[in-house]
Amino acid sequence: MAPFYEFGRFGDGTSLIVAILLGVAFGWFLERGGMGNARKLAGQFYFTDLSVLKLMFSAILTAMLGLFWLSWAGLLDLSRVYVPETFIVPQVAGGVVFGAGFAMGGLCPGTSCVAAATGRQDGLALVGGLLAGVFVYGEAFPLIQSFVDATARGAWTLPQALGLSYGTVVGMIVAAALGAFAGAEWLERRAERPAEPREAFQ
Amino acid sequence: MTPRARRSPGIERGLLIAAIVAGGLAVIAGVPVRPTRGTVDVQRLAEIVEHEEDHVTAVELAKWIRDDHAGLRLLDVRPDSEFREFHIPGAKNVALTKLARMPLDSTATYVLYSEGGTHAAQGWFLLQARGIENVYFLRGGLYEWLEQVMNPRLDPNATQAERDSLLARARWFGGKVRVGPPSTLMPSVLDSALTPPSGNATRESIRKIRRRAC
Amino acid sequence: MSDAARAIDGAALGATTAASVPRARVRREAATYASPYVAGVGIGLVLLLSFVLMGRGLGASGAFSSVVTAAVDAAAPSHAAGNAYYARYLGDGTVSPLRDWLVFEIIGVVIGGLASAVLAGRARWTTERGPRITNRRRLVNAFVGGAAMGLGARLARGCTSGLGLTGGATLSVGSWLFVLAAFAGAYAAAPFLRRAWR
Repeated sequence: MAPFYEFGRFGDGTSLIVAILLGVAFGWFLERGGMGNARKLAGQFYFTDLSVLKLMFSAILTAMLGLFWLSWAGLLDLSRVYVPETFIVPQVAGGVVFGAGFAMGGLCPGTSCVAAATGRQDGLALVGGLLAGVFVYGEAFPLIQSFVDATARGAWTLPQALGLSYGTVVGMIVAAALGAFAGAEWLERRAERPAEPREAFQ
Repeated sequence: MTPRARRSPGIERGLLIAAIVAGGLAVIAGVPVRPTRGTVDVQRLAEIVEHEEDHVTAVELAKWIRDDHAGLRLLDVRPDSEFREFHIPGAKNVALTKLARMPLDSTATYVLYSEGGTHAAQGWFLLQARGIENVYFLRGGLYEWLEQVMNPRLDPNATQAERDSLLARARWFGGKVRVGPPSTLMPSVLDSALTPPSGNATRESIRKIRRRAC
Repeated sequence: MSDAARAIDGAALGATTAASVPRARVRREAATYASPYVAGVGIGLVLLLSFVLMGRGLGASGAFSSVVTAAVDAAAPSHAAGNAYYARYLGDGTVSPLRDWLVFEIIGVVIGGLASAVLAGRARWTTERGPRITNRRRLVNAFVGGAAMGLGARLARGCTSGLGLTGGATLSVGSWLFVLAAFAGAYAAAPFLRRAWR
């Protein structure tokens, strides 16, 4: 029964090897999808190249559906799967700051490592920035700790919050993601169209 | 210039269909658990219980085990750790939640036991609800097994034949017979005057069983 | 010259002749990227495998916390021990903060990313930037953007990998809020950064 580590099938040492192997696969697919290239990533924010959205939500859908059906089949104990905890205000605030930084830097923490690994100096600079930012956070932590721990809701899930069944929420997210994909395709096609005639005369 | 991204229309279409199907079915399924519903004819079950056809005694079970009763499936519904300390020979450890979902054999004879018998009785009900009729439980649980089979009290008024069969049975399962006047063995059957069957491990496990409920 | 080298030579020659660019040196054409949907599903399967094996998802920003903690601990151990945030990563002090699942995962990410790029001919010592800014400006932007993300990610206790992917797949409310907030923040900032990218 999965998760195997949670059922004691292997120990901490092996789990670190598992971490490396999973990381290799993760890094491989990120690079394959072009996520190691900041220019390509930034296209997301100017509606020319929405690969970020397509890749992220394809990954989320795959894993989300996988979790649901493995649990349904009795192969995975969902109650032992780690659900990231909710801290409403810090996560919204952190999200906005993160997003602004993302637009500026063009890479996120994971993809910055891919970029740096493939020789991109901007990736290296971004990794440096991340370390600096984390350091500032660590130093400032004692002052902001009460804010950081505010509005905690524990392992709160969307089905619980919305009062809907797990499967319904899964279906909704699938529908929303597919709708977003359709929108993304439309936006990209629009971006590829030749310039409007009046622009040529400016 | 940034390299272009490949389009894989065939694969992408396949993924799209898979997503729609998996997502749609998820909405229908509702919970990420395969449904397990049982049906119960309450009248029939009530009659079985009243006619005492739902359980076996420890002595009967001992006979079935010794005679290698056809299709006997002895199931221990206690936690894994307790099972490993001590269990009736031939028993398999099956938690109640596993009992609810595991594949079942309608031709087999299931006998469930737990420490005191309550959980085994509940397991009996679950299997009945799943459509298994050939199911019994050990009513007195492991307590009864220890008292009647492993460490039976030798009644001084018993016949030689009775004495021999008691002795033989206890020995066969690795137990030991107790000899003593009946009065000293009340109110608790498993008191400290007990001479355990064999080894420190089993002694410890019996002591632990006494301390716990159900 | 070996057969393989001759073949590559010929291909490069053929590819550049049409553009009338003098052949400076042999270089593999960078392969096209995979479909983002396919790559995404690949990542989703890796994420799912992580859940199946470990009962946890992937992440990234946490590894940076471990590295910073290790560095601060090396430079000023008493300060690190006295700080509530670093203390979390130091534990009881017997194990290095670098002996962490996410740190090892990120090492793997570096290896995997490099391998993919090398095999696709995309590994290059260069800077990716928009056409209208200098390399230097780009590096400054990257550093500042990274700093903002470092702050934001630790405040939110995760980034697009830990919260977006892992939290997204497990339907965590805070993770989805983070993703929405991050997109909002990015789109709000994007118009001001247009010159850097377009």
